[in-house]
Amino acid sequence: MPKPSPFPSPASPLEPGYGAASALSPLFLAVLALLLTLVSARAMPAPGSGALVLRSEAAVPVEAPRLATDFAVTVSGPTLRTIVTQAFRNTTDRWVEGTYVYPLPEDAAVDAMTMIVGERVIVAGIKERAAARRVYEAARAEGKTAALTEQERPNVFTNAVANIGPGETVVVRIEIQQAVSVSAGIRTLRLPLVVAPRYNPAPPAATLISETGESADPVPDRDRIEPPVLDPARHAPINPVAITVRLDAGFPVGALRSATHPIRVEETGPTARRVTLGEGVVPADRDFELTWEPAPGAEPSLGLFREEIGGETYVLATLNPPTAAAGTRPPRDVTFVIDNSGSMAGDSMRQAKAGLLAGLARLHPEDRVNVIRFDNTWDALFPEPVPASPETLRRAERFVGALEARGGTEMLAPLTAALNDPTPEDRNRLRQIVFLTDGAVGNEAQLFEAIQRGLGRSRLFMVGIGAAPNGHLMRHAAEIGRGSFTAIHTVDQVAERTRALYAKLEEPAATGLRASFTEEGAEVTPDPLPDLYRGEPLTLAARLAKGTGGLTVSGTVDGRPWSRTLSLSEAAPGTGISKVWARARIGEAETGRITGRLTAEAADAAILKLALAHGLTTRLTSLVAVDATPRRAAGTPLAATDLPLNLPAGWDFEKVFGERPSGVSPIRERHAGLTPAVAPAPAREIRLPQTGIGFLPRLWLGLGLALAGLAVGLLSRRARAAR
Amino acid sequence: MSRTRTLGRALGALLTLAGLGLAAEAAWMPAKAVLAQILLERAFARSLAEGRAVRPWPSADTEPVARLSFLGHGSIALRGGSGQALAFGPGHLDGTPEPGEPGTAVYAAHRDTHFAGLGGLRPGDAVTVSRRDGRTFRFRVTGARVAHWDASRLDPAAPGRHLALVTCWPLDATAPGGLRLIVDAEMDGEAS
Repeated sequence: MPKPSPFPSPASPLEPGYGAASALSPLFLAVLALLLTLVSARAMPAPGSGALVLRSEAAVPVEAPRLATDFAVTVSGPTLRTIVTQAFRNTTDRWVEGTYVYPLPEDAAVDAMTMIVGERVIVAGIKERAAARRVYEAARAEGKTAALTEQERPNVFTNAVANIGPGETVVVRIEIQQAVSVSAGIRTLRLPLVVAPRYNPAPPAATLISETGESADPVPDRDRIEPPVLDPARHAPINPVAITVRLDAGFPVGALRSATHPIRVEETGPTARRVTLGEGVVPADRDFELTWEPAPGAEPSLGLFREEIGGETYVLATLNPPTAAAGTRPPRDVTFVIDNSGSMAGDSMRQAKAGLLAGLARLHPEDRVNVIRFDNTWDALFPEPVPASPETLRRAERFVGALEARGGTEMLAPLTAALNDPTPEDRNRLRQIVFLTDGAVGNEAQLFEAIQRGLGRSRLFMVGIGAAPNGHLMRHAAEIGRGSFTAIHTVDQVAERTRALYAKLEEPAATGLRASFTEEGAEVTPDPLPDLYRGEPLTLAARLAKGTGGLTVSGTVDGRPWSRTLSLSEAAPGTGISKVWARARIGEAETGRITGRLTAEAADAAILKLALAHGLTTRLTSLVAVDATPRRAAGTPLAATDLPLNLPAGWDFEKVFGERPSGVSPIRERHAGLTPAVAPAPAREIRLPQTGIGFLPRLWLGLGLALAGLAVGLLSRRARAAR
Repeated sequence: MSRTRTLGRALGALLTLAGLGLAAEAAWMPAKAVLAQILLERAFARSLAEGRAVRPWPSADTEPVARLSFLGHGSIALRGGSGQALAFGPGHLDGTPEPGEPGTAVYAAHRDTHFAGLGGLRPGDAVTVSRRDGRTFRFRVTGARVAHWDASRLDPAAPGRHLALVTCWPLDATAPGGLRLIVDAEMDGEAS
């Protein structure tokens, strides 16, 4: 047992029976309620009580296998395929396991992994996540070299390699399929190379508490895994990266540039280029971005591509709805909803007010406005949006300025009131709801449902306020509300973040977009199609049985109906479109699960089916490769030997490893067989609140003070008596 | 002489008062943790009966969502992991599923009040959770571990139906720290 707390377990007085409470007099309960009311008003998060504390022990990189990464990107028209080759080199004289956490683009579909050990090439298979991990862990225990690719978040993956011999290099190659992103005619390739700080290696975070319950040091091997703190300026994590892009744009290439890195460009044809890094190898300290556009006058008239796989047709379409003349501002109906519940007290309330006032200031007289405030009650400034005259705006400002944070949070009624649209057919005005809250509610499912039901032509823009807004609610409310989520963490961010949001809201938008195929049963993604702001292009993918007929996209642009029909027979051939489609559908199933549109079981089943059919790494599936030959004999000490390595063709080992002779790479190291397995961080890791009041020191200090006071009083009395 | 004496007595009285004040404030924290549970029991019983969220006192910004029992003790859990909720009872962390649903439901509470007994849980021990919808689920403790607050490895979307009870570690420390004790449990079944 841990040392018993001197304070008895608080639940025990209540145990004798539930009836205890009801037996108490109503007067006592009323007094109690009053007391608790007073207290809860004061129980705002104070430093060290309820608030999250910042991590005090910085994660320290440990000596680790060195890692080099090579990106080989092939762009074929609308899609691109990236082969990421990671070489894990063990520079120690022990057998080690390396785990590398790395970012990939949000929409990346990881569909293949190959492990190269010495001269052997092992192709990974896709398996359900738990099964893949079991295979990997069994191989690790048996001394076989194995590699495992898992998805941690939609844009974060890990590669783990077990049993890398002393001085040995193991190469892991993963392949990624994506759609090229297009905006205003400019195609963009983005390779995220930087891992956010939280993925820096941490000492094995978990350990078992001994059965006897003695409060053992939670990390018994702390000394071994926590070397002295390194100077971050000198030992910043490095990870040498080489990048090659083979570009076949499908049209004559005009401007081709990288805003992030110097590049070398070779012309290999009128539509083809070969791009390499000007500096050869760079440290992975910033993302790589490459943009290209058609030569003047060579913009392809049609962005339509198709791929036939397994008897089915996959279509990828990109088209630009016409944009309104510059300077047009569509009239808008904006309803601001502001949370003034108790949890918003302090900075959050100031941020929310500042955010709302910034929005009011940007309204024009032809716009209409309303303001709704809520805690456990709610009020609307006007019964429905009214023209934003200077007089109205002054009233709104006074209304907002007078708000005070108190009471509970009842979000459903004000949300429903804001969604209530008396003229749902009015397509000339944009109807926007700006919702400012910390989202401290528990009935998300109800809210999601209300949004789904009542959205109509309204669009919901969530503004998350405070240090820890409920991102789950915000992100998905915005997703269902077909708007966006803006997080404001500090007062300084208010001006900048809200300016970006409000500027976007003022742009003309293409709304009510719909895609329909002549052929029955087309599965289109995204579903529903998003609104487009500021000349954003529409990109959609679909699966069809035959791929005949046409595709019609229609909607409302700048208040006028618009539509365009494309014939599928004119589509150019593309590659990897099926994977792009499957990845997008998986993303939608994940959203459906979180927002309650699909049950967890139904969503998981859909994801698993898509992932296994298309060989994709997802939350539920992983790629695993195992070398059949056991190499590390259990318990056998091995001398350090430098195993030669056959590298993949076209990959220059010396060039990649030759630079930066020493350094620490962001790898979590484990010594095979020595430490218990630690699962990689899960997809949506929960952060835990501060859970200790620490009232005892204060109690003792107080009692001590009181005793000292009594002693002083007694002494002075005795002094008098003595005289 | 009498001036010094008066000063001494005044100082003594002041010290005594300040000390008692401090002690009372400190003692009030665990006291309200206990007292609040009485109101929470009532509110939870009412929400069970009425099938809707019932706020335990008018200004509360949270409401009781479940009753947690282990090692013979029970407490009413509140929605959310905010300091306000945790002052009165264990908090059901936002973004984690209802217990008994797929994923990992996470409850956190203070080590010096509601979860003081968490260190006594052993693998195989039972934890029962009664939800606001009246359903009760039994969980079996599978292990305990210590992790940093932002490296919990608790995945709300993990396959299976799990429960995690969390409090600060070490249990007898008095200063806030970064470590948490996490007791993992998995579902045994629904209690009838």
